[in-house]
Amino acid sequence: MTSLYDWSYWFCEAWLVPLLTPLLYFQEHIMPPFSNPAGDLARWMESDPGLNVLAWTIVVNVALMIGFTNVIIVVYLERKIAARIMDRRGPMLSFHSLKEIANDLAGSIPEYGWKTTTYAGIGILQNVADGIKFFCKEMIVPAKADRLLYTIGPVIFISSSILLLVLVPFSPRVAASSAPLGLLVVMAAFSIAPIGVLTTGWACNNKYTLIGGMRSAAQLMAYEIPLLLSMAGVFLVAGSFSPMDIVAQQQEVWLFGIPMWNIIPQFLGFIVFMVCILAEVERIPFDLPEAEAELVEGWTTEIGGLRLGLTFAAEYIRGFVGAMIATVLFLGGWAGPFLPGEIWFLIKVYGILVFFIILRWTVPRIRTDQILLLGWKRLLPLSLVNLAIAILYVEVF
Amino acid sequence: MAEMWIHMGPQHPMTHGLWNLRIKVDGETITDAEPELGYLHRSVEKIGERRKYFMNTTLTDRLCYASAMTWTHCYCLTAEELMGVEVPPRAKYIRTVVLELQRIASHLMWLASYLPDLGLITGFLYGMRDREMFLNLLEIPSGGRLLYNYVKIGGVKRDLPPGFDAKAERVMQTLERRLKEYEDLYDNSKIFRMRTDDVGCYSASDAINWGITGPNLRSAGVPFDLRQADSYDAYPELDFTPVTTSAGNGRSDCFSRYRQRIDEMYQSMDLVRQALVKMPEGKVMAGSVPVRARGEAFRRTEDSRGEALMYLIGDGTDRPYRWKIRSPMFTTVSAAPHFLKGYKVADVPAIMGSIDMCIGETDK
Amino acid sequence: METGQFVQQLAKRDGASDGSVLRANVGRITVTRAASQAFFRVLKEDFGFDHCSLISAVDNQTGFELVYHFSIIDMEGQMLEVHVELPRDTPTIDSITHLWGGADWHEREAYDLMGIYFIGHPDLKRVLLPDGFAGHPLRKDYVYEIHEEEW
Repeated sequence: MTSLYDWSYWFCEAWLVPLLTPLLYFQEHIMPPFSNPAGDLARWMESDPGLNVLAWTIVVNVALMIGFTNVIIVVYLERKIAARIMDRRGPMLSFHSLKEIANDLAGSIPEYGWKTTTYAGIGILQNVADGIKFFCKEMIVPAKADRLLYTIGPVIFISSSILLLVLVPFSPRVAASSAPLGLLVVMAAFSIAPIGVLTTGWACNNKYTLIGGMRSAAQLMAYEIPLLLSMAGVFLVAGSFSPMDIVAQQQEVWLFGIPMWNIIPQFLGFIVFMVCILAEVERIPFDLPEAEAELVEGWTTEIGGLRLGLTFAAEYIRGFVGAMIATVLFLGGWAGPFLPGEIWFLIKVYGILVFFIILRWTVPRIRTDQILLLGWKRLLPLSLVNLAIAILYVEVF
Repeated sequence: MAEMWIHMGPQHPMTHGLWNLRIKVDGETITDAEPELGYLHRSVEKIGERRKYFMNTTLTDRLCYASAMTWTHCYCLTAEELMGVEVPPRAKYIRTVVLELQRIASHLMWLASYLPDLGLITGFLYGMRDREMFLNLLEIPSGGRLLYNYVKIGGVKRDLPPGFDAKAERVMQTLERRLKEYEDLYDNSKIFRMRTDDVGCYSASDAINWGITGPNLRSAGVPFDLRQADSYDAYPELDFTPVTTSAGNGRSDCFSRYRQRIDEMYQSMDLVRQALVKMPEGKVMAGSVPVRARGEAFRRTEDSRGEALMYLIGDGTDRPYRWKIRSPMFTTVSAAPHFLKGYKVADVPAIMGSIDMCIGETDK
Repeated sequence: METGQFVQQLAKRDGASDGSVLRANVGRITVTRAASQAFFRVLKEDFGFDHCSLISAVDNQTGFELVYHFSIIDMEGQMLEVHVELPRDTPTIDSITHLWGGADWHEREAYDLMGIYFIGHPDLKRVLLPDGFAGHPLRKDYVYEIHEEEW
């Protein structure tokens, strides 16, 4: 029972398959030969490959659930922290207020005095309300849009973002994938999204979405290179692309009782990586593709309903995964005393996310040409310098 | 990419109000621009010809939703000139106080709407929060928060209540403290400076030629303030000099326009304090205000956005024969193509926000 | 320069008449249409009136009257009000946009709402009303009709 995979394999072997297979075997004998495939299925499930597939399905679903739960928490945190920065209270809809809303809808009048409805709570139901709203909206396709591409574009963006959730491990125990190329796969999945953005931007037949899509493509291309170069330093030191190895390597060297996480020798790389990942997940100050002041909503202007809701969710997923990668690469991943590794991992990830959120609500947005200048003229040389430092570090230790 | 026209408006986050800016872009660079107005045209001048002189103050209030007091004041000043009404000194001082408070509220509203244009939504709530205090102050004598109808032909509607100056002082001290915070937050912000420095530049001579006035002109280093150049109310008795800022070489850019308005808020607070101290006792309304008028008169005042000029012709009846309004923004927007050309699409909100659009007065 | 002084000097020019001082720093003068262009050029270049505040068109029933307000951008705030009479059947006058760029939209507005034609204006079209609008609503003989348009 050392990992999530082991647990789910055991779960399938001990509970799921013994419970399911009698049903299937029973079906095999109801109406042969038409129901024979049910028996084949049962035999496959009992075999090792079948158990493997079932186990992985469970693992991936658990990972997605963990990821989505975290995304909801991030959205909630974003709203609340933004509200505190802005000197207001933020969403206050919670279970406590449901009763008051019900009273209001029923038209009940309090017995005496002015009715003082506050709906005051901590606002945990706000995301639910938003979700319901997105679900209830009609899925409109603009009349002059390219219907096929318009439908495909958000799907590419959303699915590639959700894919990211299963690629990054929380700890050696809670990991849905253990690809040897680990983080390279993550970065490959990260760079699928611009295709979706460009496709949507073009298909909507709208000038704002077109410019938003173009900006997105230009920005992501400019930032992909320093991003990967800043990661290359870490890969060099660890000698591996796998998150497990990278985290393990960070535990090896200690200096004056402090673990030499990559943030210390490769601080430059950390800075470059954080700036690039901010640009990659398109958050203020780098959210040019959806700069609402000039481009209305950028490339998402024309999409609505559940597409829009899932696109927003996908953006938060990308932010969350970005913070996860930063934690794995530079902050020692799940390493930490006393607490379980998963908790340490989440603490570090949320630290980075809170930094992202505070940054978003305290700085303005920068301009297209400035963002490209920053990418090509500042971050690219800096990431090369960081690479040189990493090589030196490898030689010294 | 081929050149294409992009419509920014009439429904667009960049347009504070209903207007349309068509820009021609080559990639992301603006090669041409054309503002289109008229979406909010109510023909105030024509309506005003059918209403009695004193009725028109309700219309002038609605000329600008951010700065209602100054427009009504400009109209009343013109009508008083036309009718030959002498305003009591206390009313002059009260007008000065409420005008300056309105100017601060208007500039705060500008600050609130400018920062979302740059992508910082937090600034919107900060500006609105502070404007709220000044609306509360203006509510004390006038009873209104957006449209006051407080300044009347011949004086003001009501006297200031006792204790007003203490309340005003408290509010102004709060604002001074917060303005310091904003200077830390915005002036020292590298990204804010990147977005505003050397963006939307025009020289002082160009600005004068295009008819740009008010803070937008003073931000190019031209000390031209109608509160002194064509003084009215209690301004001749107050001690102040026009504040100017400049982006160097007699130019104005977005940052100098931002700085100009912040500095003007400090100056307005100083003027309010002076006026509250020097305020004489007495009546607040002229004894008799004629209903009919003959002749012609014009007055110009320093509105929150520039030079407001009203020109009234009376033909002896109780209604104006012709009423003409000069809106400072109308002229400034006409110059927009000149100072938009060559900048990026992302600069459009930064530039058009920095000149402080108010579409109500522009469309009349 | 004293207000009365420059008003007197300007009143001596061709076509100018009725020079008077309205109040401190504000003068008033009447110019004929034929002499207006030369007069404005002198006003801008020799007297330094660098700011065109306002162009108001007035419908006098018998004819039109254009009222120009010019001022100098300095702390004295000198101002001059220039009246130009136009006949009712040919309400045209030379544009002053090449002298004062700020006059551009004021002239367009006068054309839009009062139907004054400015010769030499670079882009004389309606500014506040839509392009297809019939008539000029600020004229006194404009008959207001309720247009029930279908949307």
